[in-house]
Amino acid sequence: MGYTFQFGQVWPFLPRLFDAALVSLQLALLAFCGGLLLGTAGAAIRTYGGAWARRAVKLYVTAFTNTPQLVQIYFLYFALPDAGLVLSSFTAVLIGMTLNAGAYLTEIQRAGFESARRSELEAAAVLGFSRLQQIRYVVLPHAMRVLLPPLSSHFIIMTLGTSMAAVFGVEELTGEALTLSSQTFRSVEVFLIVAGFYVALTLLASLAISLFARAAFRVRVRPL
Amino acid sequence: MPDLVIRGLDAHYGATPVLSGLDLHVESGATVGLIGPSGSGKSTILRTILGLLPPSRGEIVLDGRRVDYAKPAEVRALRERVAVVFQQYNLFQNMTVLQNVCITPVKIRGRPRREVEDEARRLLAKVGLADKLSSYPDQLSGGQQQRVAIARALALRPEILLLDEVTAALDPELVSEVLDTIRLLAREGMTMMIVSHEMGFIREVSSRVVFMADGRKVEEGPPARIFDAPQEARTQSFVSKILRH
Ligand SMILES: Nc1ncnc2c1ncn2[C@@H]1O[C@H](COP(=O)(O)OP(=O)(O)OP(=O)(O)O)[C@@H](O)[C@H]1O
Ligand SMILES: [Mg+2]
Repeated sequence: MGYTFQFGQVWPFLPRLFDAALVSLQLALLAFCGGLLLGTAGAAIRTYGGAWARRAVKLYVTAFTNTPQLVQIYFLYFALPDAGLVLSSFTAVLIGMTLNAGAYLTEIQRAGFESARRSELEAAAVLGFSRLQQIRYVVLPHAMRVLLPPLSSHFIIMTLGTSMAAVFGVEELTGEALTLSSQTFRSVEVFLIVAGFYVALTLLASLAISLFARAAFRVRVRPL
Repeated sequence: MPDLVIRGLDAHYGATPVLSGLDLHVESGATVGLIGPSGSGKSTILRTILGLLPPSRGEIVLDGRRVDYAKPAEVRALRERVAVVFQQYNLFQNMTVLQNVCITPVKIRGRPRREVEDEARRLLAKVGLADKLSSYPDQLSGGQQQRVAIARALALRPEILLLDEVTAALDPELVSEVLDTIRLLAREGMTMMIVSHEMGFIREVSSRVVFMADGRKVEEGPPARIFDAPQEARTQSFVSKILRH
């Protein structure tokens, strides 16, 4: 036994791993923000929409939460060029992850939408708020407070999920690690460092989401 | 000069009739006190005026124009002129006192923030809350929250103010501070419709009192007559019960 760690060979590649980590973070952030928009619209439609719109959203959610994300992205990757849309692998993965996130976040946010007190909504209506204004100023801030923990953990799952992009040749953290380990033959060291990067990313991710929630919805998270 | 007329109004919750054949007139500058036993339909009148419950028959006429509650634009126009304060203060929990008061004029009606904030500060001072501008509702007492709700309604510069049991959820010590606020409004000539169980207060502040029972108007008149010399048996028994209380 006794593995001798040899980080020496790996250190010079640290900047490359750092750049790759930024690609991962970018992918996670973009997909999450897109998914949040989709999920907010989806939850609003599920809560307030007409019968057909509700059914359409339900179909979307069912389709995307019951198939593997990898399969969804493969499908986009191969189906979209046939439809005349040639995408870079980054874009294909981004679209796939966004659609997938939209489906999960619709379900997650639906619960939050129902947490706004009916009396507050009625007050808003009587003050002359339109339905959209009620959602923007009353429902979402309430929802965000309830939803911050589940949203933040979904963001972390997504951040780690970006490693899937390696399969499509995106040069994000895992992809870069695979390349490096075959170049240096120091796989254990490379993946240890990469694991450290992922930990840093997820910490950054939860910080980012709480800042986002604060900026977008002025959510105060304070003990009650 | 607002003038609100209710004519032959019927309203239902599902199949249950709640108001029947109601006639009511709130003329400019009047303070109409609405009294009656629990379940007689007092809150329902206010909800119907505001379009939270569509009238099933009859009409509500504002300044000579019949309000068409099927048209959202007309309901919105009415809500710009008629404000309400409910028994449960319904403040926005995620906003400070100042934000609660300012959000509608600024975000919904597009008035300049600076101007609205100045006015909000003045209104909050008037209801005795000058030092609570940046508190959140859950940091305030019931009476303070209710006064914020009144300031929020006043910031809309309503022509008519509807008040529904605004003191009912309050401890006795807090009641008087809210009543003082309303008294002040009445003196300033605000057109109001006030639902309350505080008979002494209704008697003092109303220019006219309406007694309701079972969704109907039973009797209407100046406070002295309704309280001291009611004509109808239902009014007599209600008033005598309340006063003996
Ligand atoms: N959301 C509702 N659904 C069904 N029935 C209702 C609803 N709200 C009120 N009612 C019924 O309508 C009738 C009138 O209610 P309303 O709230 O107008 O009475 P009120 O005079 O304001 O009584 P209180 O003094 O207790 O506030 C009551 O019989 C009540 O049970
Ligand atoms: Mg009532």
